[in-house]
Order: sequence, then C-alpha cells, then structure tokens
Amino acid sequence: MRGKQSLKLTTAFVFSVIAMILAVGVGSVSISPREIVAIIFSKLSGNEMPDFINAGKVSILWEIRFPRACCAFITGALLSLSGAVMQSLLQNPLASSYTLGISSGASLGAAFVIVYEVSIPALNYFLLPVSGFIFGLATVFLVLAFSAGLDGNLRSHTIILFGMILSLFVNAVLTLLSAAHSRHMQRLILWQMGSFAGRRWEHAGILLIVCVIGVIIACAFHRELDLMSFGENTAEAVGVDTKKSRRILLVLSSVLTGAAVCFTGVIGFIDLAAPHAVRRIFGSSHRLVLPMSALLGGSFMALADLISRTILSPQEIPVGAVTALLGAPFFLWVYFGTGRKR
Amino acid sequence: MKAVECSQLHAAYDKRVLNTDAEILRGLDFSVEEGSRVAVLGENGSGKSTLLKAISGMLPFEGRISLMGRAVKEQTRREVAATAALMCQLSQVYFSYTVEETVLMGRYIHLNGGFTAYSSKDREIAEECMDRTGVKGLAKRQLSSLSGGELQRVFLARTFAQDAPILLLDEPTNHLDLKVVAGMSEYLLEWSAQEHHTLIGVYHDIPLALKLSEFLIVLKNGRISAQGPKDEVLESGALEKAYDFGVREYLKEMVLK
Repeated sequence: MRGKQSLKLTTAFVFSVIAMILAVGVGSVSISPREIVAIIFSKLSGNEMPDFINAGKVSILWEIRFPRACCAFITGALLSLSGAVMQSLLQNPLASSYTLGISSGASLGAAFVIVYEVSIPALNYFLLPVSGFIFGLATVFLVLAFSAGLDGNLRSHTIILFGMILSLFVNAVLTLLSAAHSRHMQRLILWQMGSFAGRRWEHAGILLIVCVIGVIIACAFHRELDLMSFGENTAEAVGVDTKKSRRILLVLSSVLTGAAVCFTGVIGFIDLAAPHAVRRIFGSSHRLVLPMSALLGGSFMALADLISRTILSPQEIPVGAVTALLGAPFFLWVYFGTGRKR
Repeated sequence: MKAVECSQLHAAYDKRVLNTDAEILRGLDFSVEEGSRVAVLGENGSGKSTLLKAISGMLPFEGRISLMGRAVKEQTRREVAATAALMCQLSQVYFSYTVEETVLMGRYIHLNGGFTAYSSKDREIAEECMDRTGVKGLAKRQLSSLSGGELQRVFLARTFAQDAPILLLDEPTNHLDLKVVAGMSEYLLEWSAQEHHTLIGVYHDIPLALKLSEFLIVLKNGRISAQGPKDEVLESGALEKAYDFGVREYLKEMVLK
C-alpha cells in the first residue's frame, strides 16, 4: 500500500520535471535537455556558459521560455490548489475557484482599464493585473458579505448561489461595457481568453511567492479540509471552528485565483479537473490532495501552454481552449478508467 | 456534577428567529447528571436533533448551556468537542476516504496544529474504536464502497475516537441490522457504565430507547412535556400525549403478536 503510494508520488514528480523540460525545450528553436541543464546551471552558479551552447539559445531559454513556462506552471498550480480547497470547502465537486465570481470580477476590472484607457505610470504593465486582482477580490467579498447577511451560518449553497448570481450580473455589466466600446472588444476578449505570451521573470516571481505561501497555509488546514468535506455539522462536532477556517480558506482561495487570473486571464478547466484527477489517483486526504493538485495542475498547464504555442506555430491558440480540449478526454480517462479498477 | 445543564434554552438554525414563532427549542430547563443515560423522545419535528446540536453549541441560542459545569458560550469548538462528542445523522459523502482515515479524523482535537502527525496512541484508539463497532475489517476500504449500515458504524467509531466523556448520539442505530443493533447497544451500555461517562441519545426505536436509558426527556413542539426516571415518565402517560398515539398499547400488541 505504502510502496504503491510512493511509486505514484515519484511518477508525479518525474512527470512534472518532464513537463517542464518539454515546455522550455520544444519550439521553433529546439533546446536539448543537456543544454537546458547546462544553461540553468551556469545561470544559477554564475559560471561561464559552456562552449557548446549557442548564445541565442541562452536568451531564448532564459529570457522567453523559462519565465513563460514558470508562469504557466505556477498559474496551473494556483488554480488547481484553489479549486481543490473550494471543492471541499463547499462540499461540491463542481465548485471551482471561479464559483465566487472572481473571474468575472477580474474581467470587469481589466475591462475598465482597457476601455477607459486608464494609465497609472507607477504601475506600468502591472496596471491591468492590479485592477483585475482588486475587482476580482471585491466581487468575492461582495458575494461573501451578501451570503453572510442572508445566512448567518454562511452555508455552502448560499455562497454558491450568490456567487453565480453576482457572476452573471457582473458579466452583464461587462457585456454592456464591451458593446458600448466595441473598438476595444478584441483586446478585451483576448485578455479574457488567457495567455502566457510575453510573461517575464517579474510575473513568475510574484506568482511564485503567492503560490508558496498559499501551499503552506492550505496545507496547514489539511485536516480541517478533510473534515469540512463531510459537511459543516460533522466538522463542528469533531471540533473544527468551521466559521474561522472557512473564512480563512475562502479568502486564501480567492487570493490564489485572483493572482493567477490577473496575470494571465481566465483559464478554465484545470481548477476543476486537476483536483478530481488527483483525488482519484492519491485518495481524498488533503495532506496529498493539496500539494499534488498544485504539482499536477502546474504540469498540465505547462504542457497546455506548450501546445498552445507550438501546434499552429507561428500562430498561438488560446491556452484555455487547449486545457479544455485535451483536459476533457484526459479527465474522462482518469475518472472512469481508475474508477473501474476499484 | 451535572454533565449537561440547560436553563431557558431557546435555539434555532438562524439567530434572527430566536424568540419568534419560528424558533425550534422554546425555553427548555433540564439537567443531566454525570454518569447517567438519557433518551430524548418525541415525534418528528419536535426538536430532538436540534437539542443535541444546541447542547454541543453548534446553533445560535439564548439562555444557558453548560457542559461539566462550564458555559458552552465561553468555550472554543475544540473544548466543546473534547467534552461532548456528537454524532449527527448520516449525511451524504462527497469525497471518499478510507475507513481508517475517517475514524482517525475523530482524533482531531487531540492533535496540535496542522503539521503534526497522528501519534501511535491516536492510531491505537482509532483501531480499538473500529474494533468495537465492527468495522476493523473494513479499515482500508473506501467510504464510497460501504453500505448505509457500515457507514453508520464508521461514523460511530469516529465519534468514539473523540474520546469525550459525554456522547450525544442522533439515531445511532439507523440503517443497522438487528444483530448489529443488539451488539451496539451492549457496547453503549458497557461504555456508559464506565465512570464519568454520560450518554444522551435520540432514538426513533422506543424499546431501544428504554433499554439504553435510565431517564427520559420528552419533547413536544420544542418544549419539554415530561422528564424524569423512565418508569415514572412511562407511568404518567407522557409518551401517549407526546406522540398522540397509544404507545404502550401498541408496543404490547407488537410483542404479543
């Protein structure tokens, strides 16, 4: 039993390393794993590049592909971690990090900036992410405040219902806004579809910090999540302060999704599918579900981004389309394939 | 010492309806001695399950509830759960864990923070509880593969694993086969015979309730219509009034047939 579990863990780690190597190695200029290792090694240690490495490859790898792949990986990790938390918190296998309206809120925030051509020089290219983040979180807090006002116990179905209602409302405002300013529509739609093109190390750095803190906090609550997935009554009866845990985890999950969405746009499916696939493979215990959702969600996103930039090269297709196109059959295979064996 | 003491207890699922017609418990006064066995009886909707939840501080309430002499309002969830272990009625299982994982979760209050592992003592206790409820053989099975009765026993084992001196059981023998019910009630009697152990149960099965209890609390429309030693309550005809039905007559007839 234990040996089987560690085999699975090892496989997951190897899979994620391979995913990253592919994500940085494959493209119009292909870079071999040996070159990748050599470049990373000399960049990190500050040594001279070995002679067999072409300077062009160094800059493609280090300036373009690596930050991009890291952003994709971390974004995937953030989305699926927060999806895993949300599903258990709301005891709803269909809940996702977008359930609370964060994506529509963030899109509205971005839309304001794009449509009204807002510019704040101090924020520079961070303006769009910052406004997306603020609007996204504001939407979530509105949902939570409304739900708490209506239902002091902050029950799951109240939250889900209000999240959906407010999402639809915000989407309607967004539609009005883009209809009234149709010349900006294309940029808006592109932003919403999500992409990792042109992401830099700064983006990856910020995302990484959010991700590490998120994983640590979420893992600190792994037992509470286990118990809360049985329902509030059970969790409270066993001694969990559900109100407190729920508030902390809802905010955490929203911040994680907000950070991911504001840098990359709305990328669906991974947040829903990765945690389910992980539960199928590793069992439901959050001790493994949380870190493994992050790891596998990240790997899938890195691969999805690779496909999105190479399959119709030089044209890029939206990564959100790739996640759903490839993710859906994969998800079916994991979900129903491993289900039969039990 | 009183294990449970409630005075002027009003409770509801939403605090805005307290003291209105929609509240569920409408001013209860009662106490339960440490070491005793109490059955809460009453027809559907009379507030039995609500009473158990209220005692464990899970509902908005007014009035006073104390557990082992300490007010529930002044305690954290963790402290309440260490004193009184509540087993709710069976709920839907959304995510599947193994039986062993589930029972170990009952040790939550005995752990220190999210990054500590279960001790060997925790594992021993969980194992003993699984043994007691007859699910040890299922330890590695997934909850999703269990029957209703097996699931009920797993949750009972988790409640025992909490290791609290007061047990609050809501329909603990639902979904169980007669043979299992017999075994379980033997174990509950054995458990409550130990010093300081108090058992408060809500039962639909009146003969079982009488077997498992020394005292009765009878609820009708959110109020206590009778309470006291079980023979006195039975003699007084309080059950007939509470259920609006010839309870004793019916039970006698059932046995004779």
